[in-house]
Order: sequence, then structure tokens, then C-alpha cells
Amino acid sequence: MHTRLLGTSILALTLAGVLSGACNKSSQNPGTTGTTGTDAGVRVSQVDVGRSLTADKMIGDKTDSFKPNDMIYASVATEGTSSAATLKARWAYQDGQVVNESTQTIAPTGDARTEFHISKADGWPAGNYKLEVFLNGAPVSTKDFTVAR
Amino acid sequence: MGFFDRTDDKAPESRPDFSNVRSGGSSTAPAATQPTSTIGSSRTYIVVKGDSLSKIAKREYGDANKWRTIYEANKDLIKDPDLIYPGQELKVPGV
Repeated sequence: MHTRLLGTSILALTLAGVLSGACNKSSQNPGTTGTTGTDAGVRVSQVDVGRSLTADKMIGDKTDSFKPNDMIYASVATEGTSSAATLKARWAYQDGQVVNESTQTIAPTGDARTEFHISKADGWPAGNYKLEVFLNGAPVSTKDFTVAR
Repeated sequence: MGFFDRTDDKAPESRPDFSNVRSGGSSTAPAATQPTSTIGSSRTYIVVKGDSLSKIAKREYGDANKWRTIYEANKDLIKDPDLIYPGQELKVPGV
């Protein structure tokens, strides 16, 4: 009886440890799609990509499938206030070849939208692309998209 | 012929050239002003009657012996550190 109780306790403690470790790991690795990041006062709440942009810097035509001659837009929504928050967009092709990196340092006083865009005069090579968004150097979101003829 | 002796006629796969990619961006948030560093910054002081470099240094730095800092920053204006004139605009570094 005592042996069974001891065994159950050890199993429970082990499970608790594994679950705790998993939770900690996910909070330390925010670089997956849909996750958000913060600096002292700013948080990235949403990232969209698409073919067009509205006047308030929102994506007008959301898509994850582009044509070679498209201008590709990313719109980064932030919440919060900061005197200097640095947003970086890194666009990569297939195996990670960097297509472009752009940085903007903003001083938001509330909800804001920051857009990044890229174009290539002779057309995008077909394939898989990835957009990574960084807030003050920390990865906060990724978006995958494709270019097809 | 061993595995490592094998020659491959296939040319290595070329990577696309992204050097002509154009990028841009904008935001609904104002752009942050770059923080200014105290080191290398300066302010302007206009000399008034009765001033000397050591008096200005005492007033600006709290140490009259730092007059040379002001002199060095204004060598293009000041020929003789004992002679400054009312109305001269002096740079006072690091204030």
C-alpha cells in the first residue's frame, strides 16, 4: 500500500515537472505564428500580409499566396505606449535566404499600425517565403506565404 | 570508385538574387526621435560683460578649472583664452 502511494506521488511530481517545463519553454520561445511580444509598454497584437494597404495601414487584401509581380505588404498592429519601440521585418526565402530587412523606430501613444512592403522589379522567384517580425530585437511573430506563377 | 570519388555533372543550385528588392514602410505612430547622448552634446552660451572662461566653467560645470574644455571647443572663435567678448556664442560641451 505504502509502495503504491509512493509510486503515485512520484508519478504526479514527475508530471508536474514536465508540464511546468513545457510552459516555461513556450513562454521563452515566442517566435511562432500568432504569438506576440512586448517591450516595456508596447505589444505586437497582430501581423497580416497581403497585396494592398488601406489609408490606416491595414491590409486591404489579406492573402498568403502571391504572384511574382505583386507588391507584398505586412501590417503590424501594436498596442501600448513607448518613446522608442523598434520594429523589424525580416523577409526570407525558402531555406532562410534573407530577402530584405527593414526597421522602423516608432513612438506610439496607443494602438498603432506599422506597415512594411517589398517589391522586386523582375518578379519574385516562386517558392515559400517567411516574414519574421521583431520587437526591440526579440522575435514576436512569423507569417508564411508562397509565391506561385 | 568510392563514394567520395564520385563526380556530379549537375551544377550547384544557384540562389536567387534579391539585391534589387525595394522596401519601404510607414506607421500611424510618430517616428521616435533618436535619443541624444550626453557625451558629445553641447549647448550654446552667450557671453555677457564681466564673463571669463573660468566664470562660465564655474557656472556651467561647477568647476572653474574646466575653462579649458570650453576653450578647446571654441578655438575657432577664441584666439586668447583671456579675451572673450560680450555677444560671443560659445559652445559648452557635455552640458
